[in-house]
Amino acid sequence: MSLVVELEATLGPDRVRSRPLELLVYNKDAGVTTGEVSVAVLPETTQEVAACVRAARRHKTPVVARGAGTGLAGGAVPTEPALLVVLTRMNELWEIDRLARTAWVGPGLLNLDLSRQVDHLGLHYAPDPSSQAACTIGGNVGTNAGGPHCLAEGTTVAHILGVEMVTADGDVVVLGGQAPDPIGLDLRGVVVGSEGTLGIVTKVLVKLTQNPPAVRTLLITFDTIQAAAATVSATIAFGIVPAALEMMDQPMVIAVESFTHGGLPVDAAAVLIAEVVGLDAGVIAEAETIARIAGEQGATSVKVAADEAERALLWKARKNAFGAVAQAAPDYYLHDTVVPRTRLVEVMTKIYEIGDRYGIKMLNVFHAGDGNLHPLVAYDAQEPGKVEQVKAAAEEMVRVSVAAGGSLTGEHGVGLEKRDLMGLVFDPIDLDAQARLRDAFDPDGLLNPGKVLPRGSRCFDYGIADLPEEVR
Amino acid sequence: MLKSELARLAKGLLADPIPGAPAAEFTIAPPTQEEAAKVLRFASDHRLQVLFWGAGSHQSMGHKVTPDLIISTFRLDQVIDWQAEDLTIVVQPGVLVADLEAQLQQRDQTAVLPETPGAATVGGTIAAGLSGWRRLRYGPTRDRMLEVKLATGDGRLVRGGGRLVKNVTGYDLPRLATGSFGALGLITEVCLKLWPLAVERAMLTVDDADAAFAAAYRPYAVIESNESSVVYLAGSAEEIAAQADRIGGDLVSGHRWPDPIPARTEMILRAPASAVGLFVGVLRGLDVSFQAAHGVGEIRFGADEAATEEIGSLRTTAESMGGALVVGRAPEELAIDPWGTPPGSIELQRRVKAAFDPIGIANPGRLPGGV
Repeated sequence: MSLVVELEATLGPDRVRSRPLELLVYNKDAGVTTGEVSVAVLPETTQEVAACVRAARRHKTPVVARGAGTGLAGGAVPTEPALLVVLTRMNELWEIDRLARTAWVGPGLLNLDLSRQVDHLGLHYAPDPSSQAACTIGGNVGTNAGGPHCLAEGTTVAHILGVEMVTADGDVVVLGGQAPDPIGLDLRGVVVGSEGTLGIVTKVLVKLTQNPPAVRTLLITFDTIQAAAATVSATIAFGIVPAALEMMDQPMVIAVESFTHGGLPVDAAAVLIAEVVGLDAGVIAEAETIARIAGEQGATSVKVAADEAERALLWKARKNAFGAVAQAAPDYYLHDTVVPRTRLVEVMTKIYEIGDRYGIKMLNVFHAGDGNLHPLVAYDAQEPGKVEQVKAAAEEMVRVSVAAGGSLTGEHGVGLEKRDLMGLVFDPIDLDAQARLRDAFDPDGLLNPGKVLPRGSRCFDYGIADLPEEVR
Repeated sequence: MLKSELARLAKGLLADPIPGAPAAEFTIAPPTQEEAAKVLRFASDHRLQVLFWGAGSHQSMGHKVTPDLIISTFRLDQVIDWQAEDLTIVVQPGVLVADLEAQLQQRDQTAVLPETPGAATVGGTIAAGLSGWRRLRYGPTRDRMLEVKLATGDGRLVRGGGRLVKNVTGYDLPRLATGSFGALGLITEVCLKLWPLAVERAMLTVDDADAAFAAAYRPYAVIESNESSVVYLAGSAEEIAAQADRIGGDLVSGHRWPDPIPARTEMILRAPASAVGLFVGVLRGLDVSFQAAHGVGEIRFGADEAATEEIGSLRTTAESMGGALVVGRAPEELAIDPWGTPPGSIELQRRVKAAFDPIGIANPGRLPGGV
């Protein structure tokens, strides 16, 4: 029996997609890579996911989990013909514990839908990627997703208390849970951010956060990028960790303004969006302090959003930035590196130099408060040699970040995009340890093979294990 | 033969036997992580069981280890790199929690480690996975673990994570190491995320801890004990006043954290936060001293007076809710299982330990299920 026939017997033919045209929608994510899907399934229960994994195992077919496909690093794009397990139908909100402020949800639940569904309890789910209206909680778990409000609240892993997971053997395990500090090793912490290489998460226990009683959002303008970056460093150094601290440069502001018409200042070299949350008394004082620090660093204007409508418009502008870029050029490549916050000015300056040297159109919108850079290159892939040029510039930007004590990715994940750059931040012995950890979960390499770790990570990859049996 | 080889390897690294530690042929205090790794490699090669030792504060937790040799961290006691303006710090495991926090306080910062650490070291606290009361506001210790260096059971020096407040590059070894009780090897260095200290601190004594937790906006802690329920607040003076208005109760300035429970037997109950009230009711009935962290789900109690069968039934209830009843310390003659029922992921846990400690010499069997 072929894998497709077996899957159809398990799920019924309407939840198994195997015709080339049907599979086209699944062979890429929101980034730039494409891969080959041999069959896609749409399971609705944990047991169905487990049955699919066991079937794939019998047929020696790799398994790749996928949510909404909003990832940018190729984490859900197969590197070889694979069974794609699409989890979007498992979007239940199972149960809410109001007292403990937790909820069990399906991996297919959309990030923003979760916050909307608990809003009446005065709660929300804190991590808020720009794609939050489209991305799933399961995908967020896979990449350990971030977002503007992760500055004070931490990325996804700080908000995931437990997961139910189908292992590479097709068994179901629960890692973590409602009680604090589950006994034994913290496997939950490793599974979050493991990009589908350690198991397929089928249920998620999320922590919910109290909605703040008061919010104050500032729009600060500067006539140099450096002054904006210096304001970010100085704010953190002063001892204020705002709820969010986002930066946009002039090209990005112009692109966004022509898209959302929110009244952003298109003549400024850079703008900062700073948000403080808490009790009234606290947010007023913190907003004043940030405004003072910005003034000392040479801000040209500070404006406080007058009401919720003005605030919503600012965030709409911020979160639609990538949509806005689509107007500027047919294709874009969004980077994601991270640097220590004290090195922002210096690294930003170098990144602009790289952009200028390659003569590429670059726009910046990023989570300045935690040093998470997102240079975005707009280009036309039809132009000969352009893709190669964009990729070469990208790698230089990564190297500049790493040289300043930074790392490859702050929130998008390693996936395929950064896989072969892992050697820039980890020694062979570190990568070997990560490979061994992965093998502990998935010794046969069934789950999302070819992701995260470069080939050759295992010290044995080119050693005895690769030799034919008879000559060992 | 083996002994003389080990003596040669440990030359210059030897330390006096540690008071309170189990008997071991050698006590070794390596001054560098490279030397720690070398000793572990030797131990793996010769199947010698190793017990790691900081200040001994949490050695009463977990299954007992019968060591051939003890590796002490007291010579790994340096602050390596404090980036105050980036709110991060890199330290070695032998630094005392109290010393680290005192140093950080000079620049109004904190690593949010336990508030009454006694002599505990940073390494021991992290290996035991312990957090302070302020975790209600700032999350558990594991969420501040940005980077870890491990001397693995088989003597490799492995680094995971990075010295960055946000980073998803590679698998999360820093969190895996937190609470691992030495099962993977020796933690030789960590980078921790710091928080600015609030200007003002205050405590609000309330009648109903559950109601206060519901009314407060992100308090530092809500601790119910035999005598009182106290909400711990911090921020500006105006913020504290506003919180007190929301919650009600008697306000005094400053934070005084509960003293550690004096009993010979201390149990740590971990349950869903919504079940704290239920367990507090049971503990009041048993007339034992307790400290319950509302909103967190951790309840520490002195169990000298509690009969073994009561511990058993509390454990059964906690486990039925997905929680646990963990022995903080207990006299050996009571023979209480330190962890209770091992988690369902025990087979995966064994494999993960083996990835770092293939021979199984690093604090062997200390964790649940013989891991």
